[in-house]
Amino acid sequence: MGMMRRKKVPVPPALRWLAVVAVAAALPAFSQAGSPATMPAEPAARPQPVEYRDELGRRVVLRGTPQRIVSLAPSITETLFALNLGERVAGVTNYCDYPAEALTRPRVGGPINPDLEQIVSLHPDLVVATRSLNRQETVTALERLGMAVYTTDPRTVEEVVASTRRLGKLLGADARGEELAATLEERLADLAHRLAGHAPRRVFFVVWTDPIISTGPHTFLADALRHAGAESVVTTDQDWPHINIEEVLRQNPEYLVFSGTHPEDPQTLIAGLRKRAGWSSLEAVRAGHFAIVSDALSRPAPRIVDAIEDLARQLHPDLFPPPPTPAATPPSSRGGTR
Amino acid sequence: MIRPLTPRRLLLTCAGLGGILLLVVFFSLKFGTRSISVTDLAVFLFRTATGRGDTAASDFRLIILDIRWPRILLAMIVGAALSVAGASFQALLRNPLADPYVLGVSSGAGLGSILTLIWAAEMPAATPFGAFAGAVLATSAVYLLGQRGGDLDSYALLLGGIITASFLSALIMFLMTTISGRELRGMAFWLMGDLSTPSPVPAGWLVLVLVLGSGAIYTTAADLNLLLSGEQEAMHLGVDVGRVKIVVYLGASVLTGLAVSVSGAVGYVGLMVPHLVRLLFGSDYRLLLPATALGGAIVVVLADTLARTVVAPTQLPVGAMTALVGAPVFIYLLRRRIA
Repeated sequence: MGMMRRKKVPVPPALRWLAVVAVAAALPAFSQAGSPATMPAEPAARPQPVEYRDELGRRVVLRGTPQRIVSLAPSITETLFALNLGERVAGVTNYCDYPAEALTRPRVGGPINPDLEQIVSLHPDLVVATRSLNRQETVTALERLGMAVYTTDPRTVEEVVASTRRLGKLLGADARGEELAATLEERLADLAHRLAGHAPRRVFFVVWTDPIISTGPHTFLADALRHAGAESVVTTDQDWPHINIEEVLRQNPEYLVFSGTHPEDPQTLIAGLRKRAGWSSLEAVRAGHFAIVSDALSRPAPRIVDAIEDLARQLHPDLFPPPPTPAATPPSSRGGTR
Repeated sequence: MIRPLTPRRLLLTCAGLGGILLLVVFFSLKFGTRSISVTDLAVFLFRTATGRGDTAASDFRLIILDIRWPRILLAMIVGAALSVAGASFQALLRNPLADPYVLGVSSGAGLGSILTLIWAAEMPAATPFGAFAGAVLATSAVYLLGQRGGDLDSYALLLGGIITASFLSALIMFLMTTISGRELRGMAFWLMGDLSTPSPVPAGWLVLVLVLGSGAIYTTAADLNLLLSGEQEAMHLGVDVGRVKIVVYLGASVLTGLAVSVSGAVGYVGLMVPHLVRLLFGSDYRLLLPATALGGAIVVVLADTLARTVVAPTQLPVGAMTALVGAPVFIYLLRRRIA
C-alpha cells in the first residue's frame, strides 16, 4: 500500500487540465445563453409589425395576416377549419382528427410535447396554442425560436364562442368569425330558452372508468354540461378528479354521461359496467340512463354546441320536438363522429 | 488491472473519450426530424466556427444552433453530472450498486423541484436550489437507513434507498393529484426524465456548477481510492475521512440536484457509466472520475438522440431510453454480486 502514498502528486495538473477544458466549454455557453435566439435579418419589403394581445394577455407581434398556421390542439384545428381557414393550416398535432381534412396536414407530435424541429421546418408565421392542453414551456421555447405564438384560454362555453370570434378577427376572417359566433350564440340562447324552468338532470360525467375520472366544476366541460341542462354531481375543486365508486353510489346520479373520446366504444363499455360490482347497483345503470355524446363535448371548439344540443335532447327528450327525419338516431349510427 | 496511472495515460484516455464525444455530438446534430446531410452539417459548422455561418438558410441555423445544440449541451451536462454523482456515491457508500436514481436521491431532488415550483412559481431559477436541498435530505435519509451497528451495510443501504425512492415518489404523486395547478401538467413527463424543455437557468451556469461540483469531488480522488478498501484502513493511511465524506456527499448531491432540476429523473446513468468505465480503464478514481464524466455525456447524448428520433415527431422521454438499457445492467451487476 506504500505506493498509494503518492496520492497527491498527479492531481494538480489534471485538475488544471480539467479546469481549462471546462472554461473553454463554458465560454460560448455563457455568451449564447440568457439572450433569446437571434432572428435572421428580415427582408425589407414586409408589412409593418402589429402588436396583439392573446387570451393570456401576452404580446403577439404579427407582420401581416398569418398565412401558415400551426395548431397545437385538436380544438384549435377544429376552430380554424370552422372559420374556413383550413387552407392556411400548415401543421396539426397527432390528435387532430376533425375535420377529416386535418388528417392530411403534417403532424408535429403530441400537444404536451410537440417536436419543435418539425414546427420550425413548416415555416409557420403563427403558432396557436391553448392553455388547457399545451405547456407554458412549449410556448416559451417556441418564442425563443422567434415564432409568434397566440394562446387561447376558453374556460366556459361563452368563452369558446368569444375565442372563436377573436381568432377570426386575428386571422382576417372577421365576417366568418362573426357569422359563426352569432349562429352559435343563437343556438345556445334557443337551448337555454327551452330548458328554462326545468330542473337540471343530476349527471355523472365519465371521463375514464379505470380509474374512475370525472370532471370538476371549473372546467369548460362542466360548463357544457350546465348548458345541456345537466349538473355534475362532482363538487371537488380539482379539474380532473379520481372518484371512488362509493362516492358515485352515494351521489346517485340520474344519468351517466359518456363522450366518444374513450378508446372503447361506449356501448361495449356500458355492457361491461352493467356486470361490474358497484356500477351495477347504480340506479342510472339499472334504468339504462346513459347519454352518449361525441368527443366534441370535451373540445373547446365550435362543434361543442352540436354536442351540447345532442346531450340536451338525450337528457330532456320531452322538451324537444321529435326529430324531423323518420330515420331517427339509434346509438349505432352515431359512429360518424370521431 | 494494476497499471500505474501516469498523467500521460490520463490525458490520452480523456482525449480519446473527448474525441468520441465530439463524434457523437456531430451525429446527434445531424439526426432529427429534419434530415441534414453530413456534408451540409460539416460545411455549416465550419462556416459558423469561422464566423461565416450567417450565409446558411435561417431555419437550418435555427434547427442546428437553437434547437438541437442546446438540447445536446443539456444532455452532456446531465450525463456528466449523473455519472460523476453515481461514481461518487459508489465510492462513498462502498457499494457498486449505488446510483442517484436507485438510492432515491433523484426522487428527493424531484420532490424539491416540485415544491419550489409550487411555492415559488414566479421564480423558475429557484428550482435547482430546491432540487439540491431535496437531494441532500434524501442522501442523508438513505445514509442513516443504511447504518447497521455503526457501519454501512450495503443491503440495508440499497433497501433504504429503494424505500426512500418509493416514499418520495408517493409524495410526488400526492402533490400532483391534490394540487390542481395546470403548471404541473407536464410534470409526469418530466418525472420520467425529459430533455425537451429548455432549462430555466442559462447553460453557462449549469456548466459552472458541474465543473465546481465535479472539481470538488476530484480533489478527493486519491482519497476515494483508499476509502474503497474501508474507512478504518483509509484513516490509518492518513485520509481525513470525515472531510472527504462531506465534500463528496455535498458534491454528489449538488450534481444530482443540477441534473434533476433540468431533466427530471434520468435513471441508471450513474450506475451504468461508472461500471463501463471501470471495465475499460480500471477503478483508479483519478482516471475514473473524468472518464466517467465524458462517458456519461456520450451515453445521455446517444440516448436522447434515440429518444427524439425513433418515433418522431412524437418524442420519448430520455429516461425511458436510459432505463431500458440501464435496468438490465443493474440486474446483471446485482446477480454477479450475489453469485
